[in-house]
Amino acid sequence: MKKTVLTMIGIVCAAILFANDGQFEKAMAKNIQAMYQASDTETLQGVINQLTRIGDAEGDRWEPYYYSAFGYVRAMSMSESNEAKDKYLDQALVAIKKGETIKPNDSELESLRGYVHMMRVTVDPASRGQQYSGMAFGSFQKAISLNPKNGRAHFLLGRMQLGMAQFMGGGDGGACESYATAKAILESEEKNEQSIAPSWGLNGTIEAIKETCEG
Amino acid sequence: MKVLFLFLLSVISLQSIGQVKIGGFIKEKSGEPLLGVNVFVDGTYDGATTDIDGKFSITTDEADTIVLVAKFIGFHDHKVQLDNNVSNISLEIFLNEKINKLNAVVITAGSFNASEERKQVVLNSLDIVTTAGSSADVPGALNTLPGTQTVGETGRLFVRGGEGRETKTFIDGMIVHNEYSPSAPNTPGRSRFSPFMFKGMSFSTGGYSAEYGQALSSALILQSKDIAAITRTDLSLMTVGADVAHSQVWKNSSFSGKVQYTNLTPYFALVGQNIKWDKAPTDYNGNFAYRLKTSKTGMLKFYSNMSTSDMDLYERDIANPEILLPTSVGSDYFYFNTSYKEILTKKWGATVGASMTESNDFAAQAGQSRGEDISGRHGKLVLDFTQSDKLAFKFGGEVLLRKGEENLTNTNGQILSSKFDETISSGFVEAESYLSSSLAFKVGARVENNSLVDKATVNPRVSAAYKLAERSQVSLAYGTFRQAPSNAIIYRQNDAGQELAEHFIVNYQWIGERRSFRIEGYRKNYSELTRFQNEFDPTTFSFDGDGFAEGLDLFWRDTKTFKNTDYWVSYSYLNSERNYRNYPDSFRPPFVSTHNFSVVGKRFIQSIRSQLGLTYAFASRRRYNDLNTENFLGGKTPSYHNLSFNISYLYSNQIIFHAMVNNVFGINNIFGYEYANQPDANGIYARRAIEPPAKRFLFLGVFITLAKNKSISQLPNL
Repeated sequence: MKKTVLTMIGIVCAAILFANDGQFEKAMAKNIQAMYQASDTETLQGVINQLTRIGDAEGDRWEPYYYSAFGYVRAMSMSESNEAKDKYLDQALVAIKKGETIKPNDSELESLRGYVHMMRVTVDPASRGQQYSGMAFGSFQKAISLNPKNGRAHFLLGRMQLGMAQFMGGGDGGACESYATAKAILESEEKNEQSIAPSWGLNGTIEAIKETCEG
Repeated sequence: MKVLFLFLLSVISLQSIGQVKIGGFIKEKSGEPLLGVNVFVDGTYDGATTDIDGKFSITTDEADTIVLVAKFIGFHDHKVQLDNNVSNISLEIFLNEKINKLNAVVITAGSFNASEERKQVVLNSLDIVTTAGSSADVPGALNTLPGTQTVGETGRLFVRGGEGRETKTFIDGMIVHNEYSPSAPNTPGRSRFSPFMFKGMSFSTGGYSAEYGQALSSALILQSKDIAAITRTDLSLMTVGADVAHSQVWKNSSFSGKVQYTNLTPYFALVGQNIKWDKAPTDYNGNFAYRLKTSKTGMLKFYSNMSTSDMDLYERDIANPEILLPTSVGSDYFYFNTSYKEILTKKWGATVGASMTESNDFAAQAGQSRGEDISGRHGKLVLDFTQSDKLAFKFGGEVLLRKGEENLTNTNGQILSSKFDETISSGFVEAESYLSSSLAFKVGARVENNSLVDKATVNPRVSAAYKLAERSQVSLAYGTFRQAPSNAIIYRQNDAGQELAEHFIVNYQWIGERRSFRIEGYRKNYSELTRFQNEFDPTTFSFDGDGFAEGLDLFWRDTKTFKNTDYWVSYSYLNSERNYRNYPDSFRPPFVSTHNFSVVGKRFIQSIRSQLGLTYAFASRRRYNDLNTENFLGGKTPSYHNLSFNISYLYSNQIIFHAMVNNVFGINNIFGYEYANQPDANGIYARRAIEPPAKRFLFLGVFITLAKNKSISQLPNL
């Protein structure tokens, strides 16, 4: 009996001691989901703030900033005015840079930067296209060179290639090839609900393949 | 047993002991509530985001000291230590607005900034390249901005009644000598520096920072690109030549090189020229850049440009046009520039740079010749100290060494050799202060000492800006600017002095979403200009010449009104007179035109995958000295009109075709007249019009990109 009790005490103490680690994963999982589900910029800002708090409290995790940046890109797509859109994209870049101070030369952060450039084009294709499409391609390429197994980078590259090809008046510009690479990589990625590593992109890739490369 | 359970319980409940509820409001200083502020207990996840009323509420388990932090974009972080013995805390926090680049007023008097950044920019570097008629020449495109005067026979930047030499070019803060490539007499030269190399440019038409000296009228400040983004190779085949460019990217560094060969022989064979060529202009040009990221914040840059060019032609004698005078022009040029920039501490930053120029120019005609060798060295150190977001200082020193040697040979073979060896040492300091995000001041001074004159000058520079509303602002600028007289004068008299210009500028700017408008008025006083009876006889020199320029510049740009269309309109009014050189009194110089107007339009047409550009430029009549009348500078040229057109066709991602026609309507533009040295038998001086060597200039090119990723093209470059 005594032994059991002592073990219990031990477990409780250990639980308290290690509570922090579990707390991070749990809080992240909760907020990542909230970030994906938020349907207005106000809610999104709340989630981004929470993610930033987690990042600032931990100090050595890049993921909170990655998802903050991702949240800002989502907020951008919900905004109306070009100025608001630019403001959110600027904030996304700030978060990416913060993430990079913790983890420099990261493929995921770099491909997210490319995503920001890509969205910058959509704000005003006529005046932005020339400059930012080049920058987006540059980032995706760098992301792939940092980690050829980054499925999201291949997927985003495909979207950019398709956009460019449509602009040029035909073909897929190599998009289907990139999508196929993305799909193969993303499918092989372990599905783990608890994992906080970036794991999005498979559904989008499948959707894109259906839309562009089949039929 | 029971005791043990109690103990366990207490261990568990320890976690909830000291739970504190914090609630309140976060507002601007004005009392406006702030929405979306991140409020949290420092070092924990516990926090909240304010709602539309600025309201928040947090529950925290933090048992020790509680530090509450409020963070919001554009505001200073606010930290407050709370008493953790109270379980219910209510408070009101007022945040201080941060003065940053995004919301603060920017001093714009006198300067046009072009960069890849979007903020506060009227033009970006791509706009330069795609401007019809500019032929991807930086000065060519800047000539469509207000404040510049069309002086078609030189291709240089003449700013607000200033001569071409009064505009100085700086690359990464380092001065550039002889920035134009050589050209046949009275034909425009091009800048040696390709716009593709630069990530940003600031074209100041007056009132610029104390950091820059030796320019009376204008400073063209170019910032070279940082590390290249991708490895790629580009090929260009053009009617005027070919080039190959390659960028290689490593982890923290990149190398870019471009080798260019220009030969106008085939073009001149196809398109008739007024000039009889023996050897059409030929040019070999190499550009090399290496960038190394030395740390998170440090950047080391090397840049080099080298070229050699020559041409042989026949110029007609003015009095007897049947006599052909063999003429040749050649140049060897080497420029090297290095700079290192690093943030030293949170408050201190430093930039150190050095450059060297070796330039040898040679021109000969009918047994006479002129050779000039310029050797320049420039060393510079700039320190910046940021006291707070409201106060920053910049100061530094530089040494400019310049050696010139001129050899004039006459038809008898006599050589007149002249030299100068100039050292300009200078120091500058500038303080930038924001009283609020709507009111900014910049106060500085530049001290310069020219060894040839051995007299130190102090040149104050002051500017201010006030934000009238969200999108509009006014700026003011004042300053004095010194520059050595033209080399031709210094060769004759080494201690010729330092010419002086004083600028007063008032500017209003409105930047809307995808539209902008600015109007700027100025007055410029010139003094200590060189006067002479005979340009070659220093005993006739005096340095009491003066002059003025006053005018109004208007600029409107709109990318919003017409879909896929971008256009800008510039107008400059200029009134300027000088009493300098051999002028008998105060006269309007020949390079001044009262009205300059230009419209630049660009449109992308998706259905033909092409970008079309049109530029129309107008300049009112210029003066010239008609030797057959009594009046000094009494002649007037016709006004200048030029409509240029260009088209870039995207054949594929990797291949782009480009065509350009300058002066589509073939208008006969006359820039002035040259007169024979001696009158003819009837006492009349024969004359010849200064006009372009051909009415139109045509350009065709194909640009091919080779990169690992096939989606990369030169599109961003066109």
